[in-house]
Amino acid sequence: MFAARYFGEDTFIMVKKELETMLQITNLQVAYRQGRQSVRVLDNLSLELRQGEILALLGESGSGKSTIAKAVTGLLPPSAHIGGGTLHIGSTLRVDMDMAAGKGRGKGRGKGRGKGKGIQWEGIRGRGIAMLFQDAQQALNPVMKIGAHFRESLLYHRLASPDEVKPISIRLLSQLGFLDGERILECYPFQLSGGMCQRVCLALALCLKPAVLIADEPTSALDTVSQKEVLDLLKITQKELGLAVLLITHDIAVANAVSDRVIVLNKGVIEEEGDTRAVFSKPRAAYTRQLLSSRSQIAKPSRERESSHAGEPLLEIIGLEKTFDGKKRVLHDVNLALNRKEILGILGGSGCGKSTLARCITGLEYPERGHVMYRGADISRLRGKGKRGLCKHIQMVFQDARASLNPGRTAMQLVQEPLQYMHIGNKGERETLARFYLHEVGITGDLLSRRPPQLSTGQCQRIAIARALVLRPEVLICDEAVSALDMSVQAQILALLQRLHKQFGFSILMISHDIRVLRSFCHHIAVMNHGSFSEVKRASALLHESKQSYTQLLLRCAGDMEEGLY
Amino acid sequence: MSNANHPISLISGIVVLSLLAILILGAPFLAPYDPVKQNVTERLEKPSMEHPLGTDRFGRDVLSRTLHGGQTTLISSVVALCAALIIGLLVGLTAGMFHGSIIDIILMRLIDVLLSFPFMVLAMVIAALFGTSLIHLLLAVVAVWWVSFARLTRSVVLHAKNETSFAAARVLGATNGAIIFKELLPKAISPVLILATFELGSLILSIVALSFLGLGSQPPAPEWGSMLADGRDHFMQAPHILIGPALFIFLTVLAFNLIGEGLRDRLDPYEKSEL
Repeated sequence: MFAARYFGEDTFIMVKKELETMLQITNLQVAYRQGRQSVRVLDNLSLELRQGEILALLGESGSGKSTIAKAVTGLLPPSAHIGGGTLHIGSTLRVDMDMAAGKGRGKGRGKGRGKGKGIQWEGIRGRGIAMLFQDAQQALNPVMKIGAHFRESLLYHRLASPDEVKPISIRLLSQLGFLDGERILECYPFQLSGGMCQRVCLALALCLKPAVLIADEPTSALDTVSQKEVLDLLKITQKELGLAVLLITHDIAVANAVSDRVIVLNKGVIEEEGDTRAVFSKPRAAYTRQLLSSRSQIAKPSRERESSHAGEPLLEIIGLEKTFDGKKRVLHDVNLALNRKEILGILGGSGCGKSTLARCITGLEYPERGHVMYRGADISRLRGKGKRGLCKHIQMVFQDARASLNPGRTAMQLVQEPLQYMHIGNKGERETLARFYLHEVGITGDLLSRRPPQLSTGQCQRIAIARALVLRPEVLICDEAVSALDMSVQAQILALLQRLHKQFGFSILMISHDIRVLRSFCHHIAVMNHGSFSEVKRASALLHESKQSYTQLLLRCAGDMEEGLY
Repeated sequence: MSNANHPISLISGIVVLSLLAILILGAPFLAPYDPVKQNVTERLEKPSMEHPLGTDRFGRDVLSRTLHGGQTTLISSVVALCAALIIGLLVGLTAGMFHGSIIDIILMRLIDVLLSFPFMVLAMVIAALFGTSLIHLLLAVVAVWWVSFARLTRSVVLHAKNETSFAAARVLGATNGAIIFKELLPKAISPVLILATFELGSLILSIVALSFLGLGSQPPAPEWGSMLADGRDHFMQAPHILIGPALFIFLTVLAFNLIGEGLRDRLDPYEKSEL
């Protein structure tokens, strides 16, 4: 049934690759229990993954893409209920999904087989389906050396004798770009960077020679450079081994960079599927077009917007140094100036010290040396009342909007909080102010009395922005404020910030690892690498003028992945 | 199996505890005899229709004494627990909030000292200094019991300080007091309450044990621990006089442990799966 639909439309694919199906999901239905209601996440979903292809499953949060991955590996939480569906792995293994459904309650409908015993997942996970998780560092056992991870996997699945473990793992690691495999085997996960951990996870997955590899947002937590690195390796090893990969992602650029075929998923329903090039160059479904347009909206190079350069800078950072635990140097001689009404972007990979810089400016950390000058006064070493007074001038919006809001309070209460702390106005005035700013960020009506758990991430970020602006600060620091959001929401929040900036005239310090966001949004971009700034350039000119090799590398990585997207 | 959807332990714990509470709090109306009235002609009688649990060596009705004694034991342990809980929360919040400062160091060393000091000896020292009474017993219990709450609260606070909401509150200009009571206290309260229900069981046992040693409430007032001590001399001839207090101690501790387990299933963030 599935095949007929597919071949009817793109006949040439049948001729080109008549390959074995490695993973086939038929009519999968999953619902989540929430209190008394049941929310249907996947509705009769069918898909097919063929040998030697990378199939990208593209969707925004809540589209059910991770639920698919969890369902086929038996990792769904107890609140999930599988209504039905079948799973074929390779040519031999067939699994009826409803047998896995709610172990206890399924007994009555067990059709005499298995007596509600459920599926033998041990035989499927690892050998049949291997999995790559978003946070590789957390996926590894923190108290086990990398070598022990390999030993465990290989010996458990009886793929090697104890003597062979080491050579096999070193060979695998060298395939994945580790030249010093022997040293890596002796490391603990926390000694490796996020990108290295993800490569180790990939090696661990591959050492079991799985039929199918499922990668659930494997690069979303990585910065541009290591993202590119991991994706390239994934593509290369996949081609070499002829592996079938199901790549789950929210990022069009990731899907574009590596996948052969793409399925666009929206609210548990497949909106569109087909050859990656075809889908992105000639999208048929309205939803795909919408995704692509919100993306290009973000990536559009900025119009010429000039900031005022008159007078002394509003915020000036001079020779800032910060060391953690007396040895790890995070900031090294940082110099930066932010002018009135300017939007300045700080671009850097993970671990470059950009968040520490933000924490030093807002007084959450004390620098060892150097000064943070605000209107000519040093604010870096203020304590007590002086520091609290600073929050009327410098405010911050965090990456994880939901975590930055107290879950027990309503939107109205949250925005009034800073006013209470600063003893501004009486109760009525505070309410009016809060209502005004919430209205400005688009939170109105019954949303005002909702609490963060009942709001979407985008709405939470809007509340966080309103809360930051209610004190009318001169400087707004956005620490990866849009990185955790879906593409379409990202575009909305950026547009909102731009409008508020025009309206209220504050300066923005925009910290991000994403060059697209900064290029469209900022006047100037400062590139940060290993704790100091390598250069500051006009946003529009960064592409052409930059001579720094690090900036070039960042630009190249971002550019490669987007090739052919517009 | 007990989980959040089928809170068997929580419900059974509450049922047992409410039955006990009705019996104990209703003692003045339910108890058949005056708990302190002696009747020398009816010494050490076996259980009968008149005396369901028999009589003790002064001819007092064991059932009546058990019910009345429960009031002393239960009320004093709940009072001691509340005091320990409040002290523990305040100390833990302060130590966690000013982590690494001199206040934190002093409080933590004080806790170390208290933990390494034998609790029974401390109670005896207090009794020796101030005389034996229930109040002094409770003081000794509270002086030791706040430690576990303080430790738990401090660790929760240290964890919460790494979260974004803590940094956000700081940036918004929240005072230390506002951060402690609005951001940190709500996070600490549910694990501490769960611990409290578990601790209440062992707290009752300690109060009973100290009374057994003669440090708590003084005769002729009934109390489970001192009743056990009373029966000690005669349990060869009349083992039944131990059954009443022992059974009630057992049921009360069991009920609180069941409730504690049920609450943990309900509230503990680490036991809950996503969604």
